[in-house]
Amino acid sequence: MASDSSSIFQQVAARLTPYIGSFNAQMWIKSVARRELGLPPEDLTARHLPPLIDGLRPFLQTLMGRATAENLLQQIGREVH
Amino acid sequence: MRLRWLPLFPLFYAAAFLVLAHAFQGGEALAPFLFWQRILVRVLAAAGCFAAVSCFEPGEHLRRAWFWLGAGTVVILIRDLLRLAPAFDPQSAGPGAQSLVTGLGILSNLALLAGVWMLARSWKMAAITLPGGRSGVGAVAVVTAALALLVAGPGALQHLRELSQGDWSALVLVVSAGVDILTLCLITPLLLTAVSMRGGLFSWPWALVTTSQLSWILYDFAAGLKPGVLPAGLPLAEVGRGLAENYLFAAGMAQYLVIRQVRRAAASLPAAEPAPSAAVS
Repeated sequence: MASDSSSIFQQVAARLTPYIGSFNAQMWIKSVARRELGLPPEDLTARHLPPLIDGLRPFLQTLMGRATAENLLQQIGREVH
Repeated sequence: MRLRWLPLFPLFYAAAFLVLAHAFQGGEALAPFLFWQRILVRVLAAAGCFAAVSCFEPGEHLRRAWFWLGAGTVVILIRDLLRLAPAFDPQSAGPGAQSLVTGLGILSNLALLAGVWMLARSWKMAAITLPGGRSGVGAVAVVTAALALLVAGPGALQHLRELSQGDWSALVLVVSAGVDILTLCLITPLLLTAVSMRGGLFSWPWALVTTSQLSWILYDFAAGLKPGVLPAGLPLAEVGRGLAENYLFAAGMAQYLVIRQVRRAAASLPAAEPAPSAAVS
């Protein structure tokens, strides 16, 4: 359970890092996990992925626009398990 | 790889500009050379801003930010070109022409301020955590505000005095100096946003916009020097202006290239492969 949970955090962070940097990727995921799901990021599992993606959407949309953010989030949704 | 060349372009341009300006030795050809290179850097800056605008859909925050930066640049470009017409020559322009030129200068400054302000507050909208905590952000803010007042403050006071003595042509200079001080203060969120996203592609536009704003400090410093302090073949203010406009061009192009890269990567990567490294851009 613990390895699955941490891997969601790490996998999503790894996919955001090339675009927004490692520091910011981790801060975003921590922020969404705590605010939207009431969880520490280490406790995220695959079933938390849709709300996590929904929580990240407004941040990404501000930085890269709706269409580009949607493409990236779909890619994350496909790749992270 | 193109992204890596963007920060170098303004430096190469400045070096080439200095070599050419020195070659003119302060002769008659220097003034038209300075004028037309100013037009060139303004055109490049506007092109960069509108390239960035093209990445976003109507109504999106960064589209508006880049639009205001581009619009401000186009308006000041129009003002510069108007001055070619005899009716708008600074030495002989009538009150109506002078008012138009002044109005365009003020409009441009306000549009640029709006654009920088919108870029600077993106960190809040995107919930970006600025590094250094409150004390770190406060320290950088105090340093940039002090630098802004030190560089642009004396000029602002002098132009205010001229305005108070009835010289309305100083109005645009007062507004410009005020906008300079405000935009220089906005370096803090721009710089810290870039630092927060360090290692990521999206740090590039913010880092380059920050460098553009820092270059205006060089311009303000050089423009505030008394005539004769610098040799005629060293138009330092124009170097600062060129760097500022070219870094704005580079920032707009970085925004355009980065978003294009995200789209390409998101559309083409097979499900199992990781996203491309930020270093190979």
